[in-house]
Amino acid sequence: MSDHDLDGSRHRRTSTDPARTGAIPRAGTFECLRCGLTVTRLGPDGDVRNHCPSCLHSQHVEDHVRGGPAECRGRMSPIAIAVLRNDDWMVIHRCTRCDELTSSPVCRDDNQLILMRMAVRPLAQPPFPLEVFADL
Amino acid sequence: MPRRRTPDGGRRPQRRKSVLHGPGGEGGDAFRCVGCRLEVPLAAPGTAHRNHCPHCLTSRHVDRRVPGDRAADCGGRMAALSMTVRSNGEWLLIHQCVTCGELSANRIAGDDNALALMRLAMRPLADGKLPVRALLTL
Repeated sequence: MSDHDLDGSRHRRTSTDPARTGAIPRAGTFECLRCGLTVTRLGPDGDVRNHCPSCLHSQHVEDHVRGGPAECRGRMSPIAIAVLRNDDWMVIHRCTRCDELTSSPVCRDDNQLILMRMAVRPLAQPPFPLEVFADL
Repeated sequence: MPRRRTPDGGRRPQRRKSVLHGPGGEGGDAFRCVGCRLEVPLAAPGTAHRNHCPHCLTSRHVDRRVPGDRAADCGGRMAALSMTVRSNGEWLLIHQCVTCGELSANRIAGDDNALALMRLAMRPLADGKLPVRALLTL
Protein backbone atom coordinates (compact mmCIF):
# COMPACT_ATOMS: atom_id res chain seq x y z
CA MET A 1 0.00 0.00 0.00
CA SER A 2 1.28 3.48 -0.80
CA ASP A 3 1.54 6.45 1.54
CA HIS A 4 -1.22 8.11 -0.42
CA ASP A 5 -3.69 5.39 0.63
CA LEU A 6 -2.67 5.69 4.26
CA ASP A 7 -3.15 9.46 4.23
CA GLY A 8 -6.50 9.11 2.54
CA SER A 9 -7.82 6.69 5.13
CA ARG A 10 -6.59 8.93 7.94
CA HIS A 11 -8.46 11.88 6.47
CA ARG A 12 -11.58 9.78 6.15
CA ARG A 13 -11.35 8.71 9.76
CA THR A 14 -11.08 12.26 11.04
CA SER A 15 -13.94 13.50 8.90
CA THR A 16 -16.41 10.67 9.66
CA ASP A 17 -16.53 8.71 12.88
CA PRO A 18 -16.05 5.00 12.01
CA ALA A 19 -18.08 3.87 15.03
CA ARG A 20 -21.06 5.83 13.73
CA THR A 21 -20.79 5.15 10.02
CA GLY A 22 -19.77 1.50 10.44
CA ALA A 23 -16.83 1.85 8.07
CA ILE A 24 -13.77 -0.20 8.97
CA PRO A 25 -10.69 2.02 9.11
CA ARG A 26 -7.53 0.80 7.40
CA ALA A 27 -5.07 2.34 9.85
CA GLY A 28 -4.93 2.64 13.63
CA THR A 29 -5.39 0.00 16.30
CA PHE A 30 -8.16 -2.11 17.79
CA GLU A 31 -8.46 -3.98 21.05
CA CYS A 32 -8.97 -7.73 21.01
CA LEU A 33 -12.33 -8.70 22.47
CA ARG A 34 -10.97 -11.81 24.12
CA CYS A 35 -7.46 -11.13 25.36
CA GLY A 36 -7.50 -7.32 25.36
CA LEU A 37 -4.32 -7.00 23.29
CA THR A 38 -4.00 -3.75 21.39
CA VAL A 39 -3.47 -4.75 17.76
CA THR A 40 -2.45 -2.57 14.83
CA ARG A 41 -4.85 -2.65 11.89
CA LEU A 42 -2.07 -3.13 9.38
CA GLY A 43 -0.17 -6.42 9.47
CA PRO A 44 3.56 -6.80 8.87
CA ASP A 45 2.99 -7.20 5.13
CA GLY A 46 0.88 -4.04 4.87
CA ASP A 47 -2.44 -5.88 4.61
CA VAL A 48 -5.42 -5.09 6.83
CA ARG A 49 -5.96 -7.70 9.51
CA ASN A 50 -9.18 -8.46 11.25
CA HIS A 51 -8.14 -10.88 13.99
CA CYS A 52 -5.88 -10.73 17.02
CA PRO A 53 -2.47 -12.31 16.24
CA SER A 54 -2.21 -13.68 19.79
CA CYS A 55 -5.51 -15.52 20.29
CA LEU A 56 -6.83 -15.30 16.66
CA HIS A 57 -10.24 -14.08 17.85
CA SER A 58 -12.09 -11.54 15.74
CA GLN A 59 -15.21 -9.38 15.89
CA HIS A 60 -18.31 -9.64 13.74
CA VAL A 61 -18.33 -6.19 12.16
CA GLU A 62 -18.94 -7.00 8.50
CA ASP A 63 -22.07 -8.60 7.09
CA HIS A 64 -20.90 -11.09 4.49
CA VAL A 65 -24.31 -12.06 3.18
CA ARG A 66 -25.69 -8.62 2.39
CA GLY A 67 -22.43 -6.68 2.48
CA GLY A 68 -21.71 -3.61 4.57
CA PRO A 69 -21.44 -3.35 8.36
CA ALA A 70 -23.10 -5.90 10.64
CA GLU A 71 -25.11 -4.99 13.71
CA CYS A 72 -24.06 -8.12 15.61
CA ARG A 73 -20.57 -7.08 16.82
CA GLY A 74 -20.20 -10.41 18.62
CA ARG A 75 -16.90 -12.14 19.31
CA MET A 76 -15.78 -14.54 16.58
CA SER A 77 -13.72 -17.54 17.62
CA PRO A 78 -11.40 -19.37 15.21
CA ILE A 79 -12.66 -22.86 14.39
CA ALA A 80 -10.67 -24.17 11.42
CA ILE A 81 -7.82 -23.66 8.99
CA ALA A 82 -8.49 -23.90 5.28
CA VAL A 83 -5.77 -24.40 2.70
CA LEU A 84 -6.71 -22.92 -0.65
CA ARG A 85 -5.64 -24.27 -4.01
CA ASN A 86 -2.94 -21.62 -4.30
CA ASP A 87 -1.51 -22.72 -0.91
CA ASP A 88 -2.85 -19.64 0.88
CA TRP A 89 -4.10 -20.27 4.38
CA MET A 90 -7.38 -18.95 5.72
CA VAL A 91 -8.71 -18.94 9.28
CA ILE A 92 -12.41 -19.75 9.50
CA HIS A 93 -14.15 -17.77 12.24
CA ARG A 94 -17.54 -18.45 13.76
CA CYS A 95 -19.50 -15.74 15.55
CA THR A 96 -20.25 -16.87 19.10
CA ARG A 97 -23.42 -14.78 19.05
CA CYS A 98 -25.13 -15.46 15.72
CA ASP A 99 -23.12 -18.46 14.34
CA GLU A 100 -22.12 -16.64 11.16
CA LEU A 101 -19.02 -18.04 9.42
CA THR A 102 -16.30 -15.90 7.87
CA SER A 103 -12.84 -16.57 6.53
CA SER A 104 -9.79 -14.34 6.62
CA PRO A 105 -6.20 -14.86 5.48
CA VAL A 106 -3.58 -15.98 7.97
CA CYS A 107 -1.12 -13.23 8.87
CA ARG A 108 2.60 -13.87 9.11
CA ASP A 109 2.77 -13.04 12.83
CA ASP A 110 -0.29 -15.09 13.85
CA ASN A 111 0.16 -17.40 16.82
CA GLN A 112 1.56 -20.61 15.33
CA LEU A 113 0.69 -22.68 18.39
CA ILE A 114 -3.02 -21.89 18.06
CA LEU A 115 -2.86 -22.59 14.32
CA MET A 116 -1.19 -25.92 15.09
CA ARG A 117 -3.80 -26.74 17.74
CA MET A 118 -6.63 -26.08 15.27
CA ALA A 119 -4.94 -28.22 12.63
CA VAL A 120 -4.46 -31.28 14.82
CA ARG A 121 -7.74 -31.05 16.73
CA PRO A 122 -9.71 -33.25 14.28
CA LEU A 123 -7.07 -35.95 14.54
CA ALA A 124 -7.36 -36.12 18.33
CA GLN A 125 -10.84 -37.64 18.18
CA PRO A 126 -11.25 -39.27 14.76
CA PRO A 127 -14.73 -40.63 14.00
CA PHE A 128 -13.25 -43.78 12.49
CA PRO A 129 -10.22 -45.89 13.44
CA LEU A 130 -7.07 -44.52 11.84
CA GLU A 131 -5.41 -47.96 11.79
CA VAL A 132 -7.39 -48.75 8.63
CA PHE A 133 -5.34 -46.22 6.68
CA ALA A 134 -2.12 -48.05 7.50
CA ASP A 135 -3.27 -51.00 5.40
CA LEU A 136 -3.86 -48.88 2.29
CA MET B 1 -31.21 -14.88 17.87
CA PRO B 2 -32.60 -17.97 19.59
CA ARG B 3 -30.27 -19.91 21.78
CA ARG B 4 -29.09 -23.10 20.16
CA ARG B 5 -28.36 -24.98 23.36
CA THR B 6 -30.95 -26.30 25.75
CA PRO B 7 -30.73 -25.08 29.37
CA ASP B 8 -29.28 -28.36 30.62
CA GLY B 9 -26.26 -27.90 28.35
CA GLY B 10 -27.06 -30.61 25.84
CA ARG B 11 -28.00 -30.04 22.22
CA ARG B 12 -31.59 -30.28 21.13
CA PRO B 13 -32.39 -33.14 18.75
CA GLN B 14 -32.17 -32.39 15.03
CA ARG B 15 -35.30 -31.03 13.39
CA ARG B 16 -36.84 -33.06 10.61
CA LYS B 17 -36.05 -31.65 7.20
CA SER B 18 -39.15 -31.52 4.97
CA VAL B 19 -38.05 -30.29 1.56
CA LEU B 20 -38.65 -31.62 -1.91
CA HIS B 21 -35.57 -33.05 -3.55
CA GLY B 22 -36.91 -34.31 -6.87
CA PRO B 23 -36.39 -32.48 -10.18
CA GLY B 24 -38.70 -29.49 -10.48
CA GLY B 25 -39.55 -29.53 -6.80
CA GLU B 26 -41.22 -32.94 -6.83
CA GLY B 27 -40.97 -35.22 -3.86
CA GLY B 28 -38.07 -37.61 -4.01
CA ASP B 29 -35.94 -39.70 -1.72
CA ALA B 30 -32.64 -39.01 -3.48
CA PHE B 31 -30.65 -36.15 -5.01
CA ARG B 32 -27.94 -36.10 -7.63
CA CYS B 33 -24.54 -34.73 -6.65
CA VAL B 34 -23.51 -31.66 -8.67
CA GLY B 35 -19.84 -32.64 -8.30
CA CYS B 36 -19.67 -36.30 -9.31
CA ARG B 37 -23.28 -37.02 -10.49
CA LEU B 38 -23.72 -39.77 -7.90
CA GLU B 39 -27.32 -40.55 -6.98
CA VAL B 40 -27.41 -40.00 -3.20
CA PRO B 41 -30.25 -41.31 -1.01
CA LEU B 42 -31.55 -38.86 1.57
CA ALA B 43 -31.44 -41.32 4.45
CA ALA B 44 -28.02 -41.03 6.06
CA PRO B 45 -26.67 -42.86 9.10
CA GLY B 46 -26.06 -40.51 12.02
CA THR B 47 -27.74 -37.35 10.71
CA ALA B 48 -31.14 -36.09 9.60
CA HIS B 49 -29.58 -33.23 7.62
CA ARG B 50 -27.63 -34.81 4.79
CA ASN B 51 -26.58 -32.00 2.48
CA HIS B 52 -23.43 -33.29 0.80
CA CYS B 53 -22.40 -36.18 -1.38
CA PRO B 54 -20.82 -38.99 0.67
CA HIS B 55 -18.39 -39.75 -2.15
CA CYS B 56 -16.89 -36.36 -3.12
CA LEU B 57 -18.29 -34.23 -0.19
CA THR B 58 -19.68 -31.62 -2.61
CA SER B 59 -22.84 -29.77 -1.60
CA ARG B 60 -25.18 -27.25 -3.22
CA HIS B 61 -26.06 -23.75 -2.08
CA VAL B 62 -29.83 -23.91 -1.57
CA ASP B 63 -30.28 -23.19 2.15
CA ARG B 64 -29.36 -19.97 3.90
CA ARG B 65 -29.15 -20.65 7.62
CA VAL B 66 -31.61 -23.32 8.73
CA PRO B 67 -31.20 -26.73 7.03
CA GLY B 68 -34.03 -27.14 4.55
CA ASP B 69 -35.25 -23.52 4.48
CA ARG B 70 -34.43 -23.22 0.72
CA ALA B 71 -33.98 -19.46 1.18
CA ALA B 72 -30.83 -19.04 -0.93
CA ASP B 73 -31.37 -18.33 -4.61
CA CYS B 74 -27.72 -18.96 -5.55
CA GLY B 75 -27.84 -22.67 -6.36
CA GLY B 76 -24.09 -22.89 -6.85
CA ARG B 77 -21.81 -25.84 -6.18
CA MET B 78 -20.27 -25.85 -2.70
CA ALA B 79 -16.83 -27.40 -2.41
CA ALA B 80 -15.55 -28.83 0.86
CA LEU B 81 -13.08 -26.32 2.26
CA SER B 82 -11.90 -27.56 5.65
CA MET B 83 -12.70 -29.61 8.71
CA THR B 84 -13.52 -28.43 12.19
CA VAL B 85 -14.51 -30.07 15.45
CA ARG B 86 -17.27 -29.31 17.90
CA SER B 87 -16.45 -29.27 21.58
CA ASN B 88 -17.99 -32.75 21.93
CA GLY B 89 -15.66 -34.17 19.28
CA GLU B 90 -18.04 -34.26 16.31
CA TRP B 91 -16.47 -33.44 12.97
CA LEU B 92 -18.00 -30.64 10.91
CA LEU B 93 -17.38 -30.06 7.22
CA ILE B 94 -17.03 -26.45 6.10
CA HIS B 95 -18.28 -25.81 2.57
CA GLN B 96 -17.65 -22.74 0.45
CA CYS B 97 -19.90 -21.83 -2.44
CA VAL B 98 -17.80 -21.52 -5.60
CA THR B 99 -20.34 -19.08 -7.06
CA CYS B 100 -20.85 -16.56 -4.26
CA GLY B 101 -18.23 -17.50 -1.64
CA GLU B 102 -20.72 -18.15 1.18
CA LEU B 103 -19.54 -20.51 3.94
CA SER B 104 -21.58 -23.15 5.72
CA ALA B 105 -20.95 -25.94 8.20
CA ASN B 106 -22.53 -29.38 8.29
CA ARG B 107 -21.96 -32.48 10.41
CA ILE B 108 -20.36 -35.38 8.62
CA ALA B 109 -22.54 -38.42 8.00
CA GLY B 110 -21.75 -42.00 8.90
CA ASP B 111 -21.25 -43.08 5.29
CA ASP B 112 -19.01 -40.20 4.19
CA ASN B 113 -15.85 -41.18 2.35
CA ALA B 114 -13.26 -41.63 5.11
CA LEU B 115 -10.35 -41.05 2.74
CA ALA B 116 -11.77 -37.75 1.52
CA LEU B 117 -12.45 -36.64 5.11
CA MET B 118 -8.95 -37.59 6.20
CA ARG B 119 -7.41 -35.80 3.23
CA LEU B 120 -9.28 -32.64 4.15
CA ALA B 121 -8.31 -32.86 7.82
CA MET B 122 -4.64 -33.50 6.99
CA ARG B 123 -4.32 -30.67 4.47
CA PRO B 124 -2.89 -28.01 6.87
CA LEU B 125 -0.36 -30.52 8.17
CA ALA B 126 0.65 -31.78 4.74
CA ASP B 127 3.19 -29.14 3.77
CA GLY B 128 5.19 -29.56 6.99
CA LYS B 129 5.96 -25.87 7.56
CA LEU B 130 3.42 -25.42 10.35
CA PRO B 131 4.94 -27.89 12.89
CA VAL B 132 8.38 -26.38 12.34
CA ARG B 133 7.14 -22.83 12.89
CA ALA B 134 5.12 -23.94 15.94
CA LEU B 135 8.21 -25.56 17.47
CA LEU B 136 10.31 -22.49 16.71
CA THR B 137 7.96 -20.31 18.75
CA LEU B 138 8.45 -22.47 21.84
